[in-house]
Amino acid sequence: MTATLPDLLAGLAEEEAARVLALGRHSTLPAGAVLFNLGDAADSLFVVERGQIALTLPMKVRGKEQDVLIEERATGQTLGWSALVPPHHFTLKAAALVDSEVVALPRIALCAHLAAHPAVGYLVAQNVSAVVGQRLQVFQTMWLREMQRVVELSQA
Amino acid sequence: MEMFMMAAVMSLLGVAVCAALFAAATRGERVEASRPAEQPALAPQRFFASAPAAAAAGEPARAQQELVPVEALLLQIEQHIRLEQAAAESFLRTPTGQSLQSRTTSRLLN
Repeated sequence: MTATLPDLLAGLAEEEAARVLALGRHSTLPAGAVLFNLGDAADSLFVVERGQIALTLPMKVRGKEQDVLIEERATGQTLGWSALVPPHHFTLKAAALVDSEVVALPRIALCAHLAAHPAVGYLVAQNVSAVVGQRLQVFQTMWLREMQRVVELSQA
Repeated sequence: MEMFMMAAVMSLLGVAVCAALFAAATRGERVEASRPAEQPALAPQRFFASAPAAAAAGEPARAQQELVPVEALLLQIEQHIRLEQAAAESFLRTPTGQSLQSRTTSRLLN
């Protein structure tokens, strides 16, 4: 892990952050390995310890389904927040772009810890909200820009 | 003598009829021959200009796209998404109508 805390644990004291990370299981992913697939049960939240993870969505290109890169997550960033949001299914596919390491934080253990430590839970919830909210705003803006083009095309 | 005169008149008459028919036949050819002279430059110019002009209009874009390998097309799509995300993040930093509707340089759309 880098000297700075992962975005999920921003604002926590180092000991508190270490306790949260201790709930997780470290995994090594060789380049190309799939962390989770679209639609899989989201039982864990992931923090990237090292490397780079690609988040992709399936898109039909010339009649064939292809994984199209939507976002990348690098060291210190969180992915898989569907684990904290019902109905707990991943909405993207995640795969390692390069050799990577992640910490998988199981939802049940994480939620129990956060419930037992409300101050920690509050900060973590704020950090998750920031990740979710940022993605929502970006995709909302992208959708608006595409709609603008649709409107222009329909008037052409 | 009378027979000779008759044959001579008939021959002259035949020559006159042939000349008249020849003149009538060649008059049509002259008119037709004069027409192509009016548009000799247009026909080949239109032939060679039609394909590039249509291409510039974007009509055979589909045919050109099919020539692009799928891998290259996927890279274009990913590049487009990156550019759109960057544009969206820029808008979120300073939200204005102008930045929301800014043009993309994505090769997918240009």
